[in-house]
Amino acid sequence: MSAEEKALVDRCRQGDDDSWREFVDRFGQKVYSVAYHFTLNREDAEELSQEIFLKTFENLHRYDGSFPLVAWLLSLSRNLCIDRYRRRKREKSFRFVSDDAVMPLLKSEDDPAAEALKKERTKLLFWALAEIPEDLAEILVLRDLDGLAYDEIGKALELPDGTVKSRLFRARAEVARRIRERHERRGAAGAFQTLALAAGGVL
Amino acid sequence: MSCGELERLFLAGASPEAARRHASGCATCRVVGADLEAAAGMVAGLTGPPLPTSLRTALLEIPRTTVSCEGAEQLLPLAMENEISDADEVRLSNHLARCAACSESAATLSAVRDLAQPVAPPWLAARLAANRPVREKSVWRMLLDPKAAIALAYAAAVVVMLLGFNPADLARRVGASRLGENTRAAVTVAESSLTDRVGAIQENISRTIQVWKGRASGYGRAALTNAVALIWKSSGSKERPPERPRNRDGSGAFREKETTIMTWRA
Repeated sequence: MSAEEKALVDRCRQGDDDSWREFVDRFGQKVYSVAYHFTLNREDAEELSQEIFLKTFENLHRYDGSFPLVAWLLSLSRNLCIDRYRRRKREKSFRFVSDDAVMPLLKSEDDPAAEALKKERTKLLFWALAEIPEDLAEILVLRDLDGLAYDEIGKALELPDGTVKSRLFRARAEVARRIRERHERRGAAGAFQTLALAAGGVL
Repeated sequence: MSCGELERLFLAGASPEAARRHASGCATCRVVGADLEAAAGMVAGLTGPPLPTSLRTALLEIPRTTVSCEGAEQLLPLAMENEISDADEVRLSNHLARCAACSESAATLSAVRDLAQPVAPPWLAARLAANRPVREKSVWRMLLDPKAAIALAYAAAVVVMLLGFNPADLARRVGASRLGENTRAAVTVAESSLTDRVGAIQENISRTIQVWKGRASGYGRAALTNAVALIWKSSGSKERPPERPRNRDGSGAFREKETTIMTWRA
């Protein structure tokens, strides 16, 4: 896989337009998703994605094929994402996630009630992500929202797989605990259990 | 708080069913397990936002808007010589605006052109002329020159041949007279060596005798002194026994002659 990706990168370095198009089509969606999850804003996500791809293009000669290209892309763009994430956290509006911000993340539902429930749940999720430490939130986003493999996350963040899994467990537990406690404080103790039953997810 | 078993099961890659079984029997983990299931459910329904078409177009244009760092290395020399195309100049300037390392490299290269040549101070030429070292060649130095020595040797050989000398005869004569001298010198050396050897043996014997004489005299005098002191004590006399003879200056226990042992050095 990495050898094939290295060949693709080499062709891009030589100025082959078709190879660059293939590169963009293969990784554009993934990079935009990561950028959106860190910014929750379309304009910011587009700007961040462009910045990540520009940086990638300028540093293509550094890729040696020793690990997956998507992990290398993320390792290059990690600081950019974290900077945006911190900037967003500093903003007052960060904890009040808008409907517009979460709408692009939801699949369309026929049932308006179910769609409204999903929307509220997603807003709660991003509120809780902002509440937990950055190093935990980052891993939860990359694993659960962007679907990266443990080894890809480990290589991107320069962490062993065991640490990635351990942080992921703690991130999930922290997010869930904060949402439950928020509901309990508001006197809606049963609401979260209802959400959990509705979700019917897995560990 | 959980008992930690849920995390251990998760890290070990156990199935969700195993985690549920543990949570059903553990009061603390039951709450955490329910939380985790709820969080997983919240995330599971989400999808990534679709890549906007305008963004895809902008990403495809990147190679035409900038260059890589290695591309900038190729373009910088061309830019210095004004041999760069307009399109490449735009790409290069875009890259330099973003990349601090390449920008520093370009600025350093262009600074080389702006450096002025240092002007020599007006007094430097006069000082260099005044301090120029002058070496005079002496006659001896000329003679010690290897070329001069070879030329002189040839000239001497020619003169000798012109005067009728046969260098071979001369060498033989010189060799015979040297042989006689060497023989006489060897005999003389042998004679003197034998005389020296005999003299050395004689002097060695005489020195040994002197040493033994001194030692015997010292021991005898000490024994005599002790005997007198013993007799004096046994006779009950309260006077002090006569003192041992001392050197003229009062130092030492021996007479002057006993301490002067002739030493000889070859």
